[in-house]
Amino acid sequence: MRNIFERVKQWNTLTRIWHLYDAKWQDPFDSAKVIQKYLKGLHKPIYHPLADCGDHVVVINCKEIAMRGDEWRKRAYFHHTGYAGGGTYTLAWELHDKNPLMIMKKAVYRSMKGNLQRRYTMERLHLYAEENVPQDIIENISSVIPQLRDVPMRLDRMPEDQVKGYPKIWDLPKDYVVR
Amino acid sequence: MTSRLSALPVLFVRLQRPCPLVQNRGFKRWLRPTLQTLKKRKERMDPEPLPRRSSFTDWNYKSELFAFGKRLGEDLNLDVLRTAVTTREFVLNEIDQQKAVGIEIDIQMNDNSKMILEGSEIINNYSLNFLRSAFPKLPEEGVIAVQTYLTCEENLSTLAKNLGVADLMLTPEHPVEAVTLSNGFKALVAAISESSGIERANLFVRDFVMTQLVGKNINELWEVNDPLNLLSSILQRDGKQPFEPRIVAETGRNTILANYQVGLYVNKELIGLGCGESIKIATEVAARDALRELFDTTESMKPVNFDVESLPQTFANFSIQDWSSKNVEKLMKSSR
Amino acid sequence: MSNSHLLLLSGFPRAPLQNGIGRYVPQLKRMTIKFCKSSGDSKGTREFIESKLVDFAKENPGTVVYVKPRRHRAPCVQAEYLNGEEHHISLHNMSLEETTKWINLLPMRSGRPTNLRLRKYWHTDSPSIQGVWSPFTNRDPALNLAQFPMEEFSKRKNLTKTATEIILERWQEQKEKDSTAPVQEKTTS
Repeated sequence: MRNIFERVKQWNTLTRIWHLYDAKWQDPFDSAKVIQKYLKGLHKPIYHPLADCGDHVVVINCKEIAMRGDEWRKRAYFHHTGYAGGGTYTLAWELHDKNPLMIMKKAVYRSMKGNLQRRYTMERLHLYAEENVPQDIIENISSVIPQLRDVPMRLDRMPEDQVKGYPKIWDLPKDYVVR
Repeated sequence: MTSRLSALPVLFVRLQRPCPLVQNRGFKRWLRPTLQTLKKRKERMDPEPLPRRSSFTDWNYKSELFAFGKRLGEDLNLDVLRTAVTTREFVLNEIDQQKAVGIEIDIQMNDNSKMILEGSEIINNYSLNFLRSAFPKLPEEGVIAVQTYLTCEENLSTLAKNLGVADLMLTPEHPVEAVTLSNGFKALVAAISESSGIERANLFVRDFVMTQLVGKNINELWEVNDPLNLLSSILQRDGKQPFEPRIVAETGRNTILANYQVGLYVNKELIGLGCGESIKIATEVAARDALRELFDTTESMKPVNFDVESLPQTFANFSIQDWSSKNVEKLMKSSR
Repeated sequence: MSNSHLLLLSGFPRAPLQNGIGRYVPQLKRMTIKFCKSSGDSKGTREFIESKLVDFAKENPGTVVYVKPRRHRAPCVQAEYLNGEEHHISLHNMSLEETTKWINLLPMRSGRPTNLRLRKYWHTDSPSIQGVWSPFTNRDPALNLAQFPMEEFSKRKNLTKTATEIILERWQEQKEKDSTAPVQEKTTS
């Protein structure tokens, strides 16, 4: 008979943690590099390729990801139906309009090596377009992955009094015509 | 092997070609069928008994007994040692054999039946004393459980086998059974006591029986049945407030791989931490952890000190029913 | 480890019966030297028996040494250990020095089978003093009371201040200075 302490010790060490990642204003490709480490369990000191020690990651606000430069317009996603002439190129903004989860999903999928384990690892990734996540998923979460970049405050969403009280380094000349 | 085969009724091997009288070189076509037949005959017979080491030509029982004592670092009386490894059945067997042959019965062999009892008493006394002084905070039930494990037949027979007692045992049975081996070990302790005094026997028990504790988890040898009730009754006896279980961490609540960490708090102070797949199990483990802390049998406890020359005659540890940390500390102070 | 060693017996280093913690028990229980009295390949063995065997037996009183002459067969030494294992070494055509060296190896062995592949070269009963790591080790206890999703935990851990933050700070300082400066002027004048 195995000792109860030894049994729960193993359970505790190899337990699957549920992490939360807020993708608001985050680069999906940089985020994918971080998220895949958590999915595989690479962040754990006990990591071993044969040990099944990957964690779950719940990504929220996928709709509000950010891309640098003019990537929204220039990045194209290729898809081929398999039939002759079935190839299509979809621009990133178009794809994001159709499915706000797809860019994040593809980014994480591509950040990992194409081996037999990849699809099972992807099963542990839970993507949500907005902040409202089902309650049974929220209850599982016990850890938060910090964001890579600060979320900037948008001027049009700032309260009026805060905008007025904000320090001005310089002012527009009085004769400046705002178009 | 050949002598056993010759006892069988002769079977004629049909040879492929009659063996010519003239010696010739070339393919030995008779070899394969001959070996096949021999193998078949061997398979048809009962399995061959393992040979006794003492039946070999390179065997000198007196030298073996001498070397055995030297190996253990003991100055043993060889006659006493010989008695310690002689079983009752062996002596009876000898008498029967002499009767059958028709010789006058002249057996002056002693057997080890008395020594087994003596040795058993020495082992039990010393191990109890040793465990009580090594684990002063462990309840008496735990001490008894550890002692039972250390002096069980399986453990003692393994010891005897690995000290080379099996070859020396004078017993009709072969291979020697575990009971006989463990009895042989007990008698050996008595033999040491008889040849060099009880002190040496105690040291022998310490060096071979007690050191089996190394690498063993005490909590594996003794488990408390109802840890939650036991802990609360101990806290009550100590005049402390009842404990309050609280979830310290949890993950995957709605999955089958849920994990909870529960801490037990007394007066906002953590006394035990446990984890498990449900809150109930985690609470139970936390209670066990708190008890482990009280009884001083944690994972990070100091290793047992085996470097003790003599032990004072100690009294029994407190039983679970009246164990309280106040009582135990009083007892420890008075024994010092 | 090559592929041919995959089927090799494997194990971990262990001292038999915690040997050495209580007292040390030499593990070699008996040894049989087999040799021929006349043939040349047993010369070194014969010399060993003549000149060194008695000293060897005195040094190792816990070992029973048997000497077994047999005609026209190669010399060898058979060692038996307390764990029941046997070790056989051929002494064929060996000089006295070589024979001495090989025979002196035997009492130093523990009797572990020679074909055992060790998976580790060390052994410990307590692998970790501080306890085994778990995902909850060094976890922020504030997370227990968190209502997810929570923005403050998601925030990047800033090591340096941003330019905006520095400007805001300076502005705040300046504002405080401006409000306290006229008061000081009044008291000094």
